[in-house]
Amino acid sequence: MSTGPAPDAAPAVGPRRGRHTARWTAVASLVVMAALIALLATRPPAAATEVYTPLLGQQAPPVTATTLSGGRFHLAAYRGRWVVLNFFASWCPPCQDEEPDLVTFAYQHRAPGDAALIGVVYDDTTAAARAFERSSGATWPTVIDPGGQIALRYGVRGPPETFLISPSGTVVAHLDSAVTAADLDQQIAAARAAGL
Amino acid sequence: MSPRGGRKAGSGPVWVVLAVVLALALALAASRWSGTPTVAQRAAALDAVLKCPSCDGISVADSSASTAAAVRQVVLIRVREGQSDQQIEQYLVGRYGPSILLRPPTTGITAVVWVVPLVAAAGGLGGLALFFWRRRRPPTTVVTPEDRALVDQAMAENGPVAAPVAAGPGP
Repeated sequence: MSTGPAPDAAPAVGPRRGRHTARWTAVASLVVMAALIALLATRPPAAATEVYTPLLGQQAPPVTATTLSGGRFHLAAYRGRWVVLNFFASWCPPCQDEEPDLVTFAYQHRAPGDAALIGVVYDDTTAAARAFERSSGATWPTVIDPGGQIALRYGVRGPPETFLISPSGTVVAHLDSAVTAADLDQQIAAARAAGL
Repeated sequence: MSPRGGRKAGSGPVWVVLAVVLALALALAASRWSGTPTVAQRAAALDAVLKCPSCDGISVADSSASTAAAVRQVVLIRVREGQSDQQIEQYLVGRYGPSILLRPPTTGITAVVWVVPLVAAAGGLGGLALFFWRRRRPPTTVVTPEDRALVDQAMAENGPVAAPVAAGPGP
């Protein structure tokens, strides 16, 4: 049986067309990759993301600890105020990034009875945390957490993590990654609007 | 005394010793298996099934991370307090969510991780069985006299073939 092309067969353009298709596919893939790289390289840093925690809607776990300045701290004493509980470490770059915004937030809410910012040292030495807070101008209470038991009660996996606690003592938001003052104000406004 | 009788008389103490050793071994094994686990044993067993919160897929027993150490500590404290394994797991799930468990629960949405592999395995095995069943099934094509005539005509036109063609089943 003959396997050659019939005399009236169309010219063999298949392989050539295949090569063109492959070339255009490669070019298109390169263009898409370049566009993605450009997009990711030029976009602003990721905003804080709200992450589910089983504590949402639950009473905030109690925090009774020693502050960096040596005093005693009781979270229960802040009942009636919005509380921003921020887990941080001096060695954590996103914590360093968010620190100026936390200073801004604390300053904007410095009025008596306004929202309170509380820091919790996460897996860091007291000396390093103290130096970090001093250098950034932090004036809010910061508690140490030897053994990481406060972090465990809040299900913290790694800093920075921030919890928003309502005046009634309920956890209403959990933010992963670095926060901004605007993020925190927005979370408080949303919680207020929701009647929390 | 016959040699056979002598062997019987001599093997008696050996069998007694073997029976005593076996009984002692069984008693020891039974005491180890059915005894109440100690606090450390229970804590270690729990540590082995709890995931390190800040690690990727390793248990708190195998991790040196500070979060793992914190979990080990709370497990030990709660075991000492007399809490059940389930109570301790529930406490940690209430903090970290179900992902704290290395073995996902078989209820709720996490049951999917148990069901999907089983369904996929059953589907795969079923597909393979169908594939082999179809291969082993005899062909259902029936060669009609017209087909045979066409083949004969083609062979007559192209001359004799080099190799004999196996004849199919007759109609």
